[in-house]
Amino acid sequence: MKKLTIPSTTITSSSRRQLLMGSAGALALLALPGCDRSAVKEAATGGTTTGVKTVVLTQSSDFQTGSMMAQNNPNLSIMRAVFNPLTEYDVKTMEPKASLASAWKMSDDQKTLTLDLRTDVLFHNGAKFTSADVLAAIAFMQKDTTPSQTKHNAKIVTAAAPSESQVVLTLAHPVSNIFDWLEMMVIPQKDSYEQMLTGAAFIGTGPFKVDSYKHGQGMSLSANEKYFKGRPKIDKLEIQIVAEASSRVASLKTGASHISMDLPPLDITGLITDSKFVNVIVETWDSAMYVASNVTIAPLDKKEVRQAIAWAVDRDAIVSKVLSGIGLTSSLPWSKSSPAYDEAKGNSYKYNPDKAKQMITAAGVAGQEVKICYVAAQAGFASVAEIVQAGINATGLKATMVPMQPADFFKGLSGEGLPGLFVNGHGFGHLRPATLLKGAFPFNADKNASRYSNDQYKALSNAIWQNTDASKAKALYDEINAHLLDQQFVSDLALGAHTYTISTRVKGLAYTALDYLILDQADLA
Amino acid sequence: MLRYALRRIPSGLLILAVASVVIFLLLRATGGDPAAVKAGSDASPDTIAAIRVALGLDLPLPVQYFRWLTGLFTGDLGYSLVTGAPLASLIGNGLQATFVLTFAASVLAVCMGLVLGIVIAVSSGAGRSVLDGLASMMLAVPTYVSGVLLILVLSVTFNVLPVGGYRPILQDPQIAMQYLAMPALCLALPAAGVLARFLATSMRQVMDEDFVRTGMAKGLSQGRLLMRHVLPNALPPVFTVLGIQIGQMLGGAIVVEAIFAWPGIGSVLANATLARDYYLIQNLLLIAVSVFIVIQIVTDLAHAALDSRVRLEQPSP
Repeated sequence: MKKLTIPSTTITSSSRRQLLMGSAGALALLALPGCDRSAVKEAATGGTTTGVKTVVLTQSSDFQTGSMMAQNNPNLSIMRAVFNPLTEYDVKTMEPKASLASAWKMSDDQKTLTLDLRTDVLFHNGAKFTSADVLAAIAFMQKDTTPSQTKHNAKIVTAAAPSESQVVLTLAHPVSNIFDWLEMMVIPQKDSYEQMLTGAAFIGTGPFKVDSYKHGQGMSLSANEKYFKGRPKIDKLEIQIVAEASSRVASLKTGASHISMDLPPLDITGLITDSKFVNVIVETWDSAMYVASNVTIAPLDKKEVRQAIAWAVDRDAIVSKVLSGIGLTSSLPWSKSSPAYDEAKGNSYKYNPDKAKQMITAAGVAGQEVKICYVAAQAGFASVAEIVQAGINATGLKATMVPMQPADFFKGLSGEGLPGLFVNGHGFGHLRPATLLKGAFPFNADKNASRYSNDQYKALSNAIWQNTDASKAKALYDEINAHLLDQQFVSDLALGAHTYTISTRVKGLAYTALDYLILDQADLA
Repeated sequence: MLRYALRRIPSGLLILAVASVVIFLLLRATGGDPAAVKAGSDASPDTIAAIRVALGLDLPLPVQYFRWLTGLFTGDLGYSLVTGAPLASLIGNGLQATFVLTFAASVLAVCMGLVLGIVIAVSSGAGRSVLDGLASMMLAVPTYVSGVLLILVLSVTFNVLPVGGYRPILQDPQIAMQYLAMPALCLALPAAGVLARFLATSMRQVMDEDFVRTGMAKGLSQGRLLMRHVLPNALPPVFTVLGIQIGQMLGGAIVVEAIFAWPGIGSVLANATLARDYYLIQNLLLIAVSVFIVIQIVTDLAHAALDSRVRLEQPSP
């Protein structure tokens, strides 16, 4: 049978009109850019009227409103914009400076800290800042359910408020890292914790007050006219959550945003070839990458095997390929600002596959399997895990990759244990050493992710924590470095850094010792 | 038709009840711990244990299940286990954004699919091959690729549409539509390609039917024949495909939402799944099941409305 066809040339004018109408409907949305108001122009000004200085920042993840007393990457952009701590380090000298506390005095026995508070500070809701707010913050931070890396560091026995402008802390024993603890503890208004935890309100004393926050979308902030350090030059700050890195890059290129936090290193190197952008590296180098061992699982229970793995990993490849040069190789967790930093010891383990192979053979474990766990969604760690795998396979061990979801990985890390090696990151290598030894779970002497238990290590950690005598500190740091290099339950690989890739229109951007963005003096050209 | 829709309600509720149990148990069986995610990588086991208790994750599973159901029936969805955000606002805002995106994408897909499908059906030779190829490309190119390409062309190169973002449609329609245009187009392209190919095939089959030949013999114009007789008879199977495509668009919105920073339910669900945010995932999946049940019923009703040969119910004896 002959097939019937209806050639397009025979379509009548009426059906053609219908087709055209359909086409017009389909293209109507695309014609919208021709509207008299342009979303592109509005986006470039943060959606505000001309003359209002609006800085737009993009970041990949939503804020963790339950973790305001912890250093938490998604919160880096808002912590110092909304809140202030009692004291704050000068990032160049790492000496504490006054913030909400105007002065402080430690008793001779190093067990009583008296803090004098500023009396001219108002919260964003107009309430006066007093010692009651400090006591509320301390109580909140000490709660079992409050996530904070430094919550147990101060060992506070009592916290008292003799007056509205003074707080007295009594410590169980001297601690070497009290100012790390003070830096971490921001002071929200005492009645606002419930709202803060659900994201309903964030009431601080910082340079910007939160106008609105929509989960998963972002936050709108405006200048705090009564900021105690002086009104910021920027009128508005818009923080947008943009998961896709290529979209954040495009947003910067089109002028729709001015700052992008922690772009992938490859995107950064591409962007800064354009003179309109610069990359601000947060030079605390507070983003270390490590491979650690569950020391209860063979063959990782042998110190020699862990040392061999430390020799087997090509740290230079991690810095050049994973971090695109924005990083430093390291065998120890400390960065330059740490009192425990030792450049020579920090370079103890260099890539030496031959030595690693000899050690594995000598240990009699060649051919045995080791698993490498990592969070699959974190591309950087996945790449590090691949480099670790290549290095280990060259030694004669058989390395198997175990990609995991965050919920499984963190459960294994802190609870039931991970089945071998694990690749992850840690911070605090730039603060007082006790903060890392007591606060970063991979290194915690009492209970850590590696299941590493050692009396000498516990004693050293406690000694470093409780020692406030500068003359004794150096010897303790030498001892802990020697212990970490020898035991290798955590093998540090590289020190990375948080980055803020910014339009050159943004001037005066700074950051705290905890990598929090400071926009007190920032301006938009 | 109304009786048909009403009679589907009990079976729909039964499906929802079974789905709630399956979703609840499967999530618990997948492992992971939302308390560990909430606490962060440096948290001590003591802190995580305290958070587990505070979140009620230490309670027996039946208790957790009935707590969830009670919350659903009383309208108290609770809070995200990981972020602490109220679930009602998280889900409400996300659903609103996703439905706007999916609706706009569906309209675009239907318009583009209809036009392209009809043109393919009536064209011949090289023209048909080119248009067929175009439809194939639309459905073959992943939304991730088409999304990035759209941004490069329309935002970075010509700067006529914003890279990404969202404005509520009722708040500022003119600006909101500009934010919506690119993600909707990106999401619509594969569905339009599928609809076009199905429609073209269906129309060609109808064109071979005797009644079309009779119409031509009676002297009907070819345009009238096409639009009044061929197209209506070719549409019903395409409508069924459209129902499936809308469902797929709801799922595929995850990628598009991530690329265009569209704050829909897709990104909420993806993040919740990675973090094992149990109650958030449970509620979202239950909503998804409900939506699919409704889409299925609506598709059946529409199919019956378009094609009188289709009966929704068996005739009474």
